[in-house]
Amino acid sequence: MPGLNSSLYIGLTGLSASQSALNVVGHNIANVNTPGYTRQRADLSSNVATAQGQVYFGTGVSLNSVTGIRDKFLDLQIYKETAVQTGADQRYSTVNAIATSLGDTSSSGLGAQIQSFFQSFQDLAASPESSALRTNVVGKAQTMITSLKTQYSMLDDQRRSADQSVGDLVTQVNSLTSQIAKLNDQITSTVPVGSNNDAIDQRKALTDQLSNLVGINVFEGSKGEYQITIDSGSATLVSGSNAYTLSAAQGAGPDGMSAVMSNMGPTGTDVTAGIKNGQLGAQLDLRDNILSGFQRQLDQVAAGISSQVNLIHQTGYGINAASAANHGTDFFQTSVANGANGLPPSITAATFYKGMVSSLSVNSTIVGDPSLIATAGAAGAVGDNANANAIANLQSATNTVDTNGNGVGDSGPFSSSIASLVGDLGTQVQKYQTQSTTQQNLVAALQNQRDQVSGVNLDEEAANMMNLQRGYQASARFINVINQLTDQLVTQFGQ
Amino acid sequence: MSLRTASTTQSRQSLLDLQRTQTRLNENTQRISSGNRLTSPGDDPSASAMILDFGTSIGANTQFLKQAGAATNYLTSTESALNTAVSDVTRLMELMPAASGSNASSTAAVAPEVDAIRSSLLSLGNTQVQGKYIFAGTNTQTVPFVDAGLPTNTISYAGNSGSISVGISAQANVVTNLNGDTVFFGAGGQGSSTDLFKTVTDLSTGLSTNNQALVQSAGANLSGILDNLNKMLATVGGRQAGLNDMQNTLSGLNVTLQGLQDNLQATDYPGTMTQFNNDQTIQSATLSAMSKVSKTNLFDYLG
Repeated sequence: MPGLNSSLYIGLTGLSASQSALNVVGHNIANVNTPGYTRQRADLSSNVATAQGQVYFGTGVSLNSVTGIRDKFLDLQIYKETAVQTGADQRYSTVNAIATSLGDTSSSGLGAQIQSFFQSFQDLAASPESSALRTNVVGKAQTMITSLKTQYSMLDDQRRSADQSVGDLVTQVNSLTSQIAKLNDQITSTVPVGSNNDAIDQRKALTDQLSNLVGINVFEGSKGEYQITIDSGSATLVSGSNAYTLSAAQGAGPDGMSAVMSNMGPTGTDVTAGIKNGQLGAQLDLRDNILSGFQRQLDQVAAGISSQVNLIHQTGYGINAASAANHGTDFFQTSVANGANGLPPSITAATFYKGMVSSLSVNSTIVGDPSLIATAGAAGAVGDNANANAIANLQSATNTVDTNGNGVGDSGPFSSSIASLVGDLGTQVQKYQTQSTTQQNLVAALQNQRDQVSGVNLDEEAANMMNLQRGYQASARFINVINQLTDQLVTQFGQ
Repeated sequence: MSLRTASTTQSRQSLLDLQRTQTRLNENTQRISSGNRLTSPGDDPSASAMILDFGTSIGANTQFLKQAGAATNYLTSTESALNTAVSDVTRLMELMPAASGSNASSTAAVAPEVDAIRSSLLSLGNTQVQGKYIFAGTNTQTVPFVDAGLPTNTISYAGNSGSISVGISAQANVVTNLNGDTVFFGAGGQGSSTDLFKTVTDLSTGLSTNNQALVQSAGANLSGILDNLNKMLATVGGRQAGLNDMQNTLSGLNVTLQGLQDNLQATDYPGTMTQFNNDQTIQSATLSAMSKVSKTNLFDYLG
């Protein structure tokens, strides 16, 4: 039979175990609103019994470990889906922001401006002698060009701002990966492995942040360390205690913008196209594909208008017979600068007419003398409107826009090309909106699931707290009883 | 068994739902105030593209109506010039008995009126509408009929045979001019028996020189010339009738197109308002539920 002293110790283990477990409860309560916090549990177990002959007497309780209650596979899934969600959010908000302007279906929209340019030719066809209507044609052409350029430069501004954010995001990614690598080191070097719950939580919170910034795949190694690669797998960001930085190489990307380089090997590798999600992935996609795609469509329409109008305009005659430019002149840009297809030589089908909107202008000779607008189909016939009619008819002509870059028109009329651009834009807005909502639901569901396992429930903690409080009180009471026994023994026998 | 619910779960879910309700409220407010169902092309991409297409068609039709209006202007002016020419020629025919008679005093009395009709016809040939000569072919800035003056008094044509057509639909054009030579010189051309100016000049010369033979031969041409003018009037009338039909069709079409566009674009007020009210109810219910849920927990009851 154990002595009174050892009974006292049993009471003591009860006190200290309850107090430690209360400590854990307190920690949980304190962190109820900490993002990424995983609730902890005090793992108590009874101590090894001591044998007295054939009877085994327990020796109280001890705290074995404090365990974080987590489902690590859920965590890994959340990182991945969060990155997709942020990517969709970012794409949605940018595309939606430009949609109101670029997708304007009213009379101030691009489609209406293009139509209005061709209608000014129709007006002129009804009265080719009118100098007011000639000036009107030049004015409408300039308005249309301004409209095209405004939309184009709005897209350009969005691309530039996306490009600027690349540098910032890369810096943030680097700061996070280096912290994660340090935490990996702490987590793997503690004994026993995985016991540093708060380091694991901190790493989770940082990885959550990282997944907002850049699409990542996370794997957990045998010692609990994270291996993080970018979502396409083309570069490693964190491997154990090593972080591999990214850098933004200015001027190395398309149109003189930045390329994202991975500094993993001795020489940097361009991973711009390998980052698909997160804010960084979304910004790169917007910059290099989505926004430039809309720019390309505008270039194609502008090239169609410039080339078709110029080719017909060259064949006609103006009403200023005295001028050398009365026949064979281009309406857009200066004739000297244009090639056989009525486009500047620097604009080619192979690059999908890149830069066409920027170089579009009304021929300055015509701006200076609108009587050179070639309305007539034959020389010297002032009232002849055959050529003006032919140009006006372009607005309803098909195959006027080359969309596949083979130099032959395959789309059109121009208004349909603009309508399809708006349709395309709308589809993209809808796609990213749906994707963003779906991902939001998925991430929320995953987070709820994670909370089910790892989140702090205050009622539960209160119940635990009451239990532990009672346990502590009982242990104290037990010590008191043993104390009284000892007292009895010492004082009663002592008399 | 019940699942654990972490204290943060409820607020996360409610917040997400609340944000979505607010977004919907915002969009519906925009729909109600703008009268436009689409707050962005993303609301309905295919409808956005169709609205643009309808808009393009409506714009094109409106322009064609404008063109048809311009064409009508020219044709109406041509018609009224022709009508005057017809009455001038009719008057000449009425004067013929007096002119071809043997009574010198009556022929002398007729002569000034014939001269007046000649110059009236000449100015008809040179009719200008909005600064252009309508009987000059495409040579609209050049005076088409020029009187050579004495001694021949020949009136020749300086215009051309170009036709001016105006597009009134994607496929159809209407020719807005009649060439002066076909109107005033007729099928035979200048100097022939169908030449109105030669005929009236001959009449005038015949009367002033008392050349009865010349007066009579010229007078014999008048009915053929009148026929030609009437034929021209019929041509113009036919074109005007065609234009009228086209204008009616285009206006009708535009009404239909606008109806279709409105169907795609206009806010469905009953539906939107119902959804708006629903969302408002949801919003206040969510807010009230959120405030109640977070109020209670076990700690409230621990002494």
